[in-house]
Amino acid sequence: MTEKKATTKKTESKKQDTKKVAPVKQEVKKQAAVAPKTAVGSTTEQKPRIGVFICHCGTNIAGSMDINEVQKYAETIPGVAFADNYQYMCSTPGQGKIEKAIKDKKLTGIVVAACTPRLHEPTFRTATKEGGLNPFRFEMANIRDQNSWVHMHDREGSTEKAKDAIRIAVAKAALLQDLYPKSVPVEKTAMVVGAGVGGMQAALDLAAAGIKTYLIEADTSIGGRMSQLDKTFPTLDCSQCILTPKMVDVGRSPNIELMTWSEVHSVEGYIGNFDVTIRKKARGVLTPKEAEARGIVGGGCNGCGDCDAVCPVVKPNNFEVGMKPRKAIYINHPQVVPLIYTIDFTSCVKCGLCVTACGPEKRAIDLESKDEFITVKIGTAILATGYDIFPIENKKEWGYKRYENVITSLEFERLICASGPTGGHLVRPSDGQTPMRVGFVLCAGSRDNTGNGKPYCSRFCCMYSLKHAHQIIEKIPGCIPYIFYMDIRSFGKMYEEFYYRIQDEGAKFIRGRVANILEDPKTKNLHVMADDTLLDRPIDMEVDMVVLASAIQPSADTNRTRKLFGVSCSMDGWLLEAHPKLNPCGTTTAGVFLAGVCQGPKDIPDTVASAEGAASAASIPIHMGEVELEPYFASCIEDKCAGCGMCVNLCPYSALSLVEKDGRTVMQVTEAKCKGCGTCGGFCPGGAIWMNHFTTPQIVAQIDAFLLGGEQ
Amino acid sequence: MSESNANFKFAFYLGCIAPNRYPGCESAAIKTCKKLGIDLLPLKGASCCPAPGAFGSIDLNVWYAMAARNIVLAEQMKMDIALLCNGCYKSIWEVNHKLKHNKDLRDGVNEVLKEVDMEYKGTINVYHIAELLYNKKYVGADKVRDSVTNPLTGARIAVHYGCHLTKPHKEREFEDEVMLDTEHPVWMEELVSAIGATPVEYRNKMQCCGAGGGVRGYDIVHALDITNEKLINIQEVGADALTDICPFCQLQFDRGQIEIQEKFGVSYNLPVLHFCELLGLAQGMSPQDLGLDLHGISCDPFLKKVL
Repeated sequence: MTEKKATTKKTESKKQDTKKVAPVKQEVKKQAAVAPKTAVGSTTEQKPRIGVFICHCGTNIAGSMDINEVQKYAETIPGVAFADNYQYMCSTPGQGKIEKAIKDKKLTGIVVAACTPRLHEPTFRTATKEGGLNPFRFEMANIRDQNSWVHMHDREGSTEKAKDAIRIAVAKAALLQDLYPKSVPVEKTAMVVGAGVGGMQAALDLAAAGIKTYLIEADTSIGGRMSQLDKTFPTLDCSQCILTPKMVDVGRSPNIELMTWSEVHSVEGYIGNFDVTIRKKARGVLTPKEAEARGIVGGGCNGCGDCDAVCPVVKPNNFEVGMKPRKAIYINHPQVVPLIYTIDFTSCVKCGLCVTACGPEKRAIDLESKDEFITVKIGTAILATGYDIFPIENKKEWGYKRYENVITSLEFERLICASGPTGGHLVRPSDGQTPMRVGFVLCAGSRDNTGNGKPYCSRFCCMYSLKHAHQIIEKIPGCIPYIFYMDIRSFGKMYEEFYYRIQDEGAKFIRGRVANILEDPKTKNLHVMADDTLLDRPIDMEVDMVVLASAIQPSADTNRTRKLFGVSCSMDGWLLEAHPKLNPCGTTTAGVFLAGVCQGPKDIPDTVASAEGAASAASIPIHMGEVELEPYFASCIEDKCAGCGMCVNLCPYSALSLVEKDGRTVMQVTEAKCKGCGTCGGFCPGGAIWMNHFTTPQIVAQIDAFLLGGEQ
Repeated sequence: MSESNANFKFAFYLGCIAPNRYPGCESAAIKTCKKLGIDLLPLKGASCCPAPGAFGSIDLNVWYAMAARNIVLAEQMKMDIALLCNGCYKSIWEVNHKLKHNKDLRDGVNEVLKEVDMEYKGTINVYHIAELLYNKKYVGADKVRDSVTNPLTGARIAVHYGCHLTKPHKEREFEDEVMLDTEHPVWMEELVSAIGATPVEYRNKMQCCGAGGGVRGYDIVHALDITNEKLINIQEVGADALTDICPFCQLQFDRGQIEIQEKFGVSYNLPVLHFCELLGLAQGMSPQDLGLDLHGISCDPFLKKVL
């Protein structure tokens, strides 16, 4: 790694390169001595003694490379005092090896060549600490995700790549320094984004644990998708009846501050100390509290609906999937929480009739109301942003929006619901007649690999379609449901039993994907064309109505919201959990958690369970009172800082500022705000910014170790 | 609309049915394209495409090699191929696509072609004329509309897309994404509207004509049964004529009506025109220029309505 050795072995051009690099490197090394807060113990003075531990990961790694050869090579790398391998380094014996070697071999740094730091960096840091070293004296070489998994059939190549990865990690480990995490206090307040059944449950749990919780809902009322459903499977409970008490609890809880018709506008800060700005969309109607604040005593909206009666503008009601009208001033349905009207300003003509109808006592309507922005401080946040229905008209073969009598399951829910647009009478949209033969198309857009649909299973469509079959058999004597399915996935508690029950009730099951639906132009009846794969023959089934069990997808605002909170998503758009099995509610952003369907399709029980998990996880840092921050922050080498302030403007986290010190202007870092992204450090023209744990000498050493290969 | 300002030149692959049974399709394609700035030049020495259903079902290697030979002829002209038949499209486009992306297949085909001193290089693309007419890059519906001198006002036209142009969906890659709609496309209807006629929707529009895949050759009664169903659906909505973009579909609908009359005793007398023929009428060409007198089902009642 030294300049001398490199120049003797490399070609002329490489010599020049190393010469270019070397002076910079030495210069920076000198800076290390003057860098604040990096003064490390006597260990910097002594020669590095690095221990290398290679993990087999069962056969995940060992199956694709020669572990012994890699270990033999590791032993020859300068600075390596000890090398070992083990079947599962993350296991207790594996960690024990690290602890023992630190003591026995007097190691100064640890390299584990295994999986990804996302999975086991905390594990091995703990082992390093247990062995008596500062935990930040640990470096990980990823020889699994980025090596053995991708080069599964190239044993020789992956062996060589593993050697490179370990050499690079050792180069960094030799220069690692002791670092000490900072603890910061956690704001004793939480936020839940989305007030469907998942978000409500999470907020209720947090509130019950004594934590003040902001519940943010984009719609005008809470309840989400569940409030649109008629009955729930397999118990056939009335959805509204079991949901309404929860909605009322949310409205009443002293610890929940409910903000409907609101969305997250911006997020700043970090775990324990997020500053979230909420955009309260212009509602045009004052709550009694807001009215009182304006000095209108006893005023504000009491939900009487006098305004609704006089409003001349008629629009389709989204809550009823457009099948019922609403006015420009409206509530979604009679049971809404909160019972406060909202003006749809995109269609309001500001005629003022509602203002007159509301009267001089309540004075609840303000036609000039504007969006308001409110910033709140929170410790942790839960995203519960739910789902939308996949636009099933994209699957043209089924003719949704082309054939009147092809409807979606959500439309079916509203039509069969007693409080829906037809008072619970299922009718054909074309002629208002009661259908006697109803086709159900399952996996409509789900489990679809054509590229025009969703590859995943939407998970609850089988079950609600069984419930739909039950409902029409019950409500319309003689009506036959024909269920076209691929597989019936009745996986939950009492679900399989429910499936058998529906079979016994007389529903007809046809195993075959529906290829095409054709409309008889005269009768508007539908011909469902499918392949009956059990009888091995094509089928042309004439029915009066078809219900498409459409796939689901993340709700429209999910992507924007997740970006504000720094949460990733998988390829299909669902939000990415920290670990699919062991940390399904957490995210890779500390302090941000996931509840319900935004993480992936879930039925109601799974959503509620996930919400309770997220609430529990989100309450932990709050109850602990403080959290440790990774000490990766930037620091200023004041001797070198020219006070130009360029870094201040570059910092995406507003962590930097300029201060006067000893008559000079220098940069100062607010460590709690710094995320260690390195933007400032990479840019600083004077080399005056020191990035802890990613120092210039460390990175240059890694690059050298890679470029100079094994020839050092 | 001068005939000298050709922007594009293509090697015109005729196929079998157009030149032998419906020469009107061939002449209509050349004449209408000329008016739209596309020169279709003869692809000399071309053979059968060969028919994808017949050859593809029996020996794929023969299918690859014969199609490749036709492509090489165009490569030697340094021109992309334009063709007017869905069956030819499947053979020539699909083999070209497969050979471009599969080296083993290409090597195997080239070994065969070596015997006739030819080598497939993969230097050209293949287009269906309907694609050239719809895609704005070449023509587009607006230009088609501008070329019309005799709009076919009041004519109710049913559109038959045919199978091989749009399916299998996963293997098609049109430059204009609108054409990727396999299940309920409407781009042909746009072209029909552009020449002043009224496109009519009918039941099961995307059903096969009945002929493809060797069905006509193997089991004519079964093939006609399918054709008959389509004709019933088209008659139901009162179409004046049917337009297609594939001479084989045209054969099945046109000759097929006579065969249906003989075998099932039902007659429809529905004129069947390739879209190029229809476009020719709209551009003011005479029925004789377009070979309409050679059709099995008389076009006269339709011509009376639109001329």
